[in-house]
Amino acid sequence: MGGNISQLEKQIGPDNFPNNERYCGLINFGNTCYSNSVLQALYFCKPFREKVLEYKARNKQRNKETLLSCLSDLFHSIATNKKRVSTVAPKKFIARLRKEKEEFNNYMQQDAHEFLNFLINRINEIILLERNHGKPKESTNDDKQSSDEPTWVHEIFQGILTSETRCLNCETISSKDEDFFDLQVDIDENTSITHCLKCYSNTETLCSDNKFKCDKCNSYQEAQKRMRVKKLPMILALHLKRFKYVEHYNRHTKVSHRVVFPLELRLFNTSDDAVNPDRMYNLVAVVVHCGSGPNRGHYISIVKSYDFWLLFDDDIIDKIDQSTIEDFYGLTSDGQKSSETGYILFYQSRDTDTKVTHADIRANGK
Amino acid sequence: MLPAHKKIQQPNAASKKVMVSFVVRDEHEPKHRAGINSLQYDAAMDRLFSAGRDSIIRTWNCKKLNDPYIQSLEHHTDWVNDIVLCCGGKNLISASSDTTVKVWNAHKGFCMSTLRTHKDYVRALAYARDQERVASAGLDKAIFLWDINTLTALTASNNTVTTSSLVGSKNSIYSLAMNPSGTIVVGGSTEKVLRVWDPRSCQKLMKLIGHSDNVKSLLVNRDGTSCLSGSSDGTIKMWSLGQQQCILTIREHKEGVWALAANENFDFVISSGRDHRIYITNLKTINTKLVTEVQNPVLKICPNPNFSGIWVATDESTINYYDLNEDSDTMELTDGDCNNETIVPPKMTIEGAPAIKKYHILNDKRHILTQDSQGNVCLYDVLQIKKLEDYGQIDFDEMVKEKFKLTYVPNWFNVDLKTGFLTIHLGQEETDCLCAWVNGKEIGLTTPPDQKVNYGSVLLGALLKHWRYTVMEDEKEEISKEGNSSNPPSLSNGVIQVPQHTPVIFTEVGNRTLYRVAVHDCGGPTETHILNETVPEWVREVLILKKTSKFIKISFYLLPLTEVSTKTPKRERLVANDFVQVQKIIEHVSEKLTGAECANTACPSTASNSEKTNTSLPETQTLLLDLIDILCNDQVLDPNMELRTVRYHIWKSSSDLTLHYRVNKNV
Repeated sequence: MGGNISQLEKQIGPDNFPNNERYCGLINFGNTCYSNSVLQALYFCKPFREKVLEYKARNKQRNKETLLSCLSDLFHSIATNKKRVSTVAPKKFIARLRKEKEEFNNYMQQDAHEFLNFLINRINEIILLERNHGKPKESTNDDKQSSDEPTWVHEIFQGILTSETRCLNCETISSKDEDFFDLQVDIDENTSITHCLKCYSNTETLCSDNKFKCDKCNSYQEAQKRMRVKKLPMILALHLKRFKYVEHYNRHTKVSHRVVFPLELRLFNTSDDAVNPDRMYNLVAVVVHCGSGPNRGHYISIVKSYDFWLLFDDDIIDKIDQSTIEDFYGLTSDGQKSSETGYILFYQSRDTDTKVTHADIRANGK
Repeated sequence: MLPAHKKIQQPNAASKKVMVSFVVRDEHEPKHRAGINSLQYDAAMDRLFSAGRDSIIRTWNCKKLNDPYIQSLEHHTDWVNDIVLCCGGKNLISASSDTTVKVWNAHKGFCMSTLRTHKDYVRALAYARDQERVASAGLDKAIFLWDINTLTALTASNNTVTTSSLVGSKNSIYSLAMNPSGTIVVGGSTEKVLRVWDPRSCQKLMKLIGHSDNVKSLLVNRDGTSCLSGSSDGTIKMWSLGQQQCILTIREHKEGVWALAANENFDFVISSGRDHRIYITNLKTINTKLVTEVQNPVLKICPNPNFSGIWVATDESTINYYDLNEDSDTMELTDGDCNNETIVPPKMTIEGAPAIKKYHILNDKRHILTQDSQGNVCLYDVLQIKKLEDYGQIDFDEMVKEKFKLTYVPNWFNVDLKTGFLTIHLGQEETDCLCAWVNGKEIGLTTPPDQKVNYGSVLLGALLKHWRYTVMEDEKEEISKEGNSSNPPSLSNGVIQVPQHTPVIFTEVGNRTLYRVAVHDCGGPTETHILNETVPEWVREVLILKKTSKFIKISFYLLPLTEVSTKTPKRERLVANDFVQVQKIIEHVSEKLTGAECANTACPSTASNSEKTNTSLPETQTLLLDLIDILCNDQVLDPNMELRTVRYHIWKSSSDLTLHYRVNKNV
């Protein structure tokens, strides 16, 4: 392993090695690559990393272990590692994770997206809980306000989707907003993420047995519904729905369709009243699934650090060429079942790319 | 050949989920209760026909507008979407969201036959006068052609009709037109195009592209050479069918155009829709003039034959008549003068009644508070199917608060306001109508004292009383063989009286109505025959086989209330019926305590007998009864409160209910 490490430093070159940056592989504790790949990707989502480290700095003498405290310890041990390139064992984090969620309390392969979803939601809950604990009990009104106020998890990952439904009888449009931490997109053969996002916002007609209960008409009527993005998040996490349930096999199988994901992304499926429709995104990390099914195979991640790309495969780190990313788009033919394909994409808004100050995040949270 | 008329469901269709519904209404409903989707005017009789969202078609005498009501054509069970008057006013054809097309004797007002060929809401009809043909179209994308003379000749024994269908529409059809000679049919759909067929050959002729939204209204001129379309995109387009293109676009309306009327030569068109504004456009000079602005979105414009005035139907129940300015034959239209007087009052009005718009089911799951479109708040009793109270225009939410009762009964029916009446659905799907058991005294049963009754079966029994009686008579021998049923008489016949005119409706999942019959007609020979094949198995089990539906159980923990919890006492887990009262738990505790006091033997009480009635308690025990308190979440419970009420209103959690008991010291 030692050879590998020095190898990476050599690959990057001593002059190009970023100051103060550390690259640490994560040891696999028995099928924990679902967690390792997501953690690496999150570590290279800079706004998220900074907030986690900030949390660590603010909570030096902590009394209670939480999933967030374990995560901040892990990120801290990476960021403050003596060696520029090394290996870290996320032992405490995994132990905590297995304690907190029964589904992860085994040595089976897990779904990386399920893990990401759980992690982000749990961290958010912990922040809210600790915020309320720190406050004196009597000010109940303030408590309510403080739980309405977005957490830094909201500020980083949360966007708003708006679903507009138009009754075809009275032609009244009703819209409903819902928050999201990631967008789950269906994928088509030989397409691009831009295309899949467009399809995501296609108009769907609610008809026959699936009619819409119109409040104005007081009855079930046909309606047209579409989902569009109303608030674009600072970090846009896109989950490609690569695991489809096939009734015939009675299990999920992998969809290895080739879906091109660009390094730069702009959303076109924004609503008319969108807050920040013109946000430009840069690709910063990709969780890649290798293999043939959700509970088999392997997860790795590719991340962008400064101006080069790195591939994290548990404890192994390689510098890769930007052009290598194309290898993870998927397969053009359906012949092979096994593939190495982009599964979760992390796009970071360009306006937060260089420097994230506290004020920026505040502004975005609004 | 398609079977169409009175095609009764086969008995094996019982596997399909069938729901029993009824409408809470007066025997005579002379006024519309909701919006009006279509109008037809009979010039010879000076009568107006109106197609209501309240499922009723009404006939009005235009010569006697102080009391215009003639009769109601009642047989549909959902919105009537369109009507056409044919055979010189003798017959009326109607299309409804109940998925049927019906043929009526327009003068006498009875339904002659029902066509069940459509599989979804039937939205539009078109009529070729010279041919006596009607086309029907709807959300199932299908267009069917009907020969009216064949339809009116249908009898119970000869009940199949030949129909041809026009295929090719890819989307739900919302509008339809045919010229008087029946050479052209045009259909408008959410596909945003007009599709044109030749109904004689059933061939597709063309597709006209130009609208950017649904097409809601269509007209074809006399010779079938041009067509007018009104669209949800807000425009009216005139099309040349010869050139296969749009020759004129009128952009006067701010919102969707839903209603068009024109003379057969297309000299002018009257239009309205979602924006409440009625315009008249001279199609030769392309001058548009505002006729008036009305209070509601316009659904139908029906001109009288000489175009001196129009009847206007909206999504409210009142129909208005407006004069078209001066002599409309000359059509002297000028622009610019529409701002002065946009709202011209109607010259004549046929008053409608308000529709129920809002409801709140009270906690007893028997009474419903409603509010109608005029703000009137009323109280209904579902079990007696009647209005109990009319509070007038008061604050609805205040009344809901005032009527709050600390009780809980499971949901056993669903409410539907689509027709503007209160419609109650009883089913076995998401809401099981047989899940609500209450004390017999709730429905006036006094003997035996502790009798439990099931709301759903009591009501079904009352609705289908006459049918049940007829069936039971037929099977009397079999029943007498069985001897007296040991089951509790859960139906409690005769205690609940329901209005005999109440329509009972059997509906298949997907809104297909199987049968509609009034309570008092259920015992007739024809009706019994149809009911035998229509009544779903689950209802038959309750009414004929007297199967008792299951009680709902609640499991709970019962433990002593201790000041300081030194060690957690062994928690006693009990199961009881959801309607058991706290008194029974007090009795159980008392039994347990005295049992333990008297002789240190194990308490025989188990989960199952926790609801055992108290038969001759020892004296020590009766004394104890008054001293025992049962608590839930630190609140002392009323002994008359039912367990389900405790769980719902006091425990307020989905986890297992925990109750505490304490014995108060003698004072």
